[in-house]
Amino acid sequence: MSRLSGTGVLAELAVRTDRVRIPVWTVAVAGLTVLIASSYSTIYPTAESRQARAELISSPAATALAGPGYGLDDYTLGAMVANEIAGMTMVAVAIMSVLLVTRHLRTEEETGRTELVRAGVVGRYAGITAGLISAALANLFVALLLVIGLLGVGLPPAGSLNMSAGVLVVGLVFTSLSALASQFTEHARTASGVGITAIIVGYLLRAVGDVQQGHSGSLLTWVSPIGWSQATRAYVDERWWPLLIGIVAAALTVGCAYAAIGRRDVGAGLLPPRGGRAEASPRLTGITALAARQQRGQILAWGVGVFALSLPIGSLGKQISDFIDQDPDLAQLLPGGAAAAADGAFALYLVFLVVMAAMYAVGAVVSIRSEESSGRAEEALATPVSRASWLGGQLAVIAAAAVAIAVAAGVGMGITAAFTLSDAGALGRLIGAALNSVPAVLVIVGACAAVYSLSPRALPALWVFLGYVLVAGMFGEVLPDWFGVLSPFHYTPALPAESFSATPLAVLLLLAAALFLAAVTGFQRRDVGR
Amino acid sequence: MDLAISVRGLTKKFGEVLALDGLDLEVKSGEVHGFLGPNGSGKSTTIRVLLGLLRADGGSASVLGSDPWQDSVPVHRRLAYVPGDVNLWPNLSGGEAIDLLGRLRGGLDPVRRASLIERFELDPTRKGRTYSKGNRQKVALVAALAADTELLILDEPTSGLDPLMEAVFQECITEFAREGRTVLLSSHILAEVDALCHAVTIIRAGKTVQAGTLSELRHFTRTTVTATTRIKPTPIANVPGVHNLQKGEDANTVTFDVDSDQIDPVMTTLTGLGIISITANPPTLEDLFLREYRDEVEALGIGRPQ
Repeated sequence: MSRLSGTGVLAELAVRTDRVRIPVWTVAVAGLTVLIASSYSTIYPTAESRQARAELISSPAATALAGPGYGLDDYTLGAMVANEIAGMTMVAVAIMSVLLVTRHLRTEEETGRTELVRAGVVGRYAGITAGLISAALANLFVALLLVIGLLGVGLPPAGSLNMSAGVLVVGLVFTSLSALASQFTEHARTASGVGITAIIVGYLLRAVGDVQQGHSGSLLTWVSPIGWSQATRAYVDERWWPLLIGIVAAALTVGCAYAAIGRRDVGAGLLPPRGGRAEASPRLTGITALAARQQRGQILAWGVGVFALSLPIGSLGKQISDFIDQDPDLAQLLPGGAAAAADGAFALYLVFLVVMAAMYAVGAVVSIRSEESSGRAEEALATPVSRASWLGGQLAVIAAAAVAIAVAAGVGMGITAAFTLSDAGALGRLIGAALNSVPAVLVIVGACAAVYSLSPRALPALWVFLGYVLVAGMFGEVLPDWFGVLSPFHYTPALPAESFSATPLAVLLLLAAALFLAAVTGFQRRDVGR
Repeated sequence: MDLAISVRGLTKKFGEVLALDGLDLEVKSGEVHGFLGPNGSGKSTTIRVLLGLLRADGGSASVLGSDPWQDSVPVHRRLAYVPGDVNLWPNLSGGEAIDLLGRLRGGLDPVRRASLIERFELDPTRKGRTYSKGNRQKVALVAALAADTELLILDEPTSGLDPLMEAVFQECITEFAREGRTVLLSSHILAEVDALCHAVTIIRAGKTVQAGTLSELRHFTRTTVTATTRIKPTPIANVPGVHNLQKGEDANTVTFDVDSDQIDPVMTTLTGLGIISITANPPTLEDLFLREYRDEVEALGIGRPQ
């Protein structure tokens, strides 16, 4: 097995470089899942309360967000957890796997470290094997902690094991998928972009599939890795064979990745790089134009992704009101009736989409830091460009793009909502609701900028913060009130469900301005390094 | 004399590590100044302070008459910089990077740009990420040399260039300096410094240990003399300024170092002994450099040439 020689040392190195990442991910993903599960047990203590929840959750909008809806007839705490929380946990492990694998497989190669390593007594397949071992370990830790936590909440062992295994399999599928994506492009960013897109597509497929036909009845559910793991009926009537599909898919994909490594040069991708122009276009005039040029791929990808997600979500309003029309008892439980139910769902989903806009912004601010650590900041700042315009120009692009992505979410939801509800006003209302979230987005971008200027090493913590904001926004109703106090969305009126109020928005805007100011002045005072 | 760069007692700490420990540096306007020192001696740190990227903890630095930290933008209008480890924007071609850097500097001369690209045999259509180290340096050199500036700050600019391109680089710097402009050249390539620089500053562990014009420095150091005389050259040992006296191939041949200001009495003594043959080697830049690092060289167990 000379092609594997050196795997042990490299695996040790991979785990060592991940010694902070893996525990943070493990605790964040498994811990939050268990935290939400235990909140459910206090919020829905009786069978009646859980059954009322089952009525609500079986609406198409909730189904799209949650799962295939097993056990709604006898909605136990376990069934609730598997139906409503497991999907998000699976998305989280998928993201973790994509980021970990891409880092080990592509970033290593892009920076040239692989070349240095491979020149030693190291087999062709040692690097990929070591990276996969580290990612698989991370997934295993998440699954283990999850089993322990779910048992701790008092859930039955069989279901806990089944659901955790489902989470593990989703992680492994996306681990192998991004191992394959890492073979095609030379760039880590493209590779992780492909992986994240695959997660979004997988989630959308199962969302549309589950809305079409509950209990994993739609073909669309069965082409999604998340769909496979949600089809195991955890806590209801466990079955294990759907996980086999995931395991086989992961094994086949990994096989392709190994085969691809055997066919390409170190450092190269399977797709050849393209040439560029000999002279810059007249539009490439300065830092702002450069940042726009650097960011445009990301902006486009996130914008199109968020817009594409917002279209089906907008159409869910009609399904929610139809559903409530069929069940007048339920409508009585809700203040404001059917319209309010639709608006409530819209407000919830909008937070989800707007957090995606903020995710773009965090990634973009992290890339400002790599401008600095690569030395490109130094090259630009050695020209007559002030620090304020270097940082400000980039932040202006990022903030504008994040706002545009957030607005795109409102436009997308508005278009389909207006059509399906035959209510032209829905477009304006939802665009208004998206604009209403702009101050919160700017606070997040400002916070990223300030962290970059004042403590650049802490930047990765912003991803944790964003995960927290997402959980606080999506699960706010089941979590204790104090949980959300650090999220800017906590203070944003939940349009279109709640009424508009200018004061909190003005306060958030002021906070955002203060953060941007702190970022720019802080950057003028500190050393610019590598 | 007009100073393009003047640094006095510069100190800079990174955490607990003292990177600059009272460094002095004076570069006169219109000269090509070599900046020498081994890895980690503080050359790049000094240059980053001169560019206003790092803030000095103590001492003073002035570039083209201004404080580089306070007035970085107006100062940068008048200088161009080439780092040792050039990193380009991965999705910009080399040509685009040259134009971008030029535009950030307020425009560059297209004729000069074209001629430099040709002289450095650079393919400007390739994407930044696909260039080798040498080619990335060429991109930065073309961008810097095509700009119309008074001062060029170069931090090991040729470490990735082949000998042919090294010659092109030397030619370009000579032309640049002929127009009365100033160059600060940090380099490990002593032959390059010897060929281009009028003056050098040698630093060690963040301190200046030697500075001056090359001829001055040569004057302060010793010349190596090998002489064969008709009469056995024992009296040489007693002449002041003679060091490292060693016996040669035969009894009448000696090799020794002599302080540059003591050459005259040595020659008088040798003449009295009847010179058959004599060779005198002035100190090379390498000798000057290694002399400042003698203890380190000895600790490493590397035999000094001769």
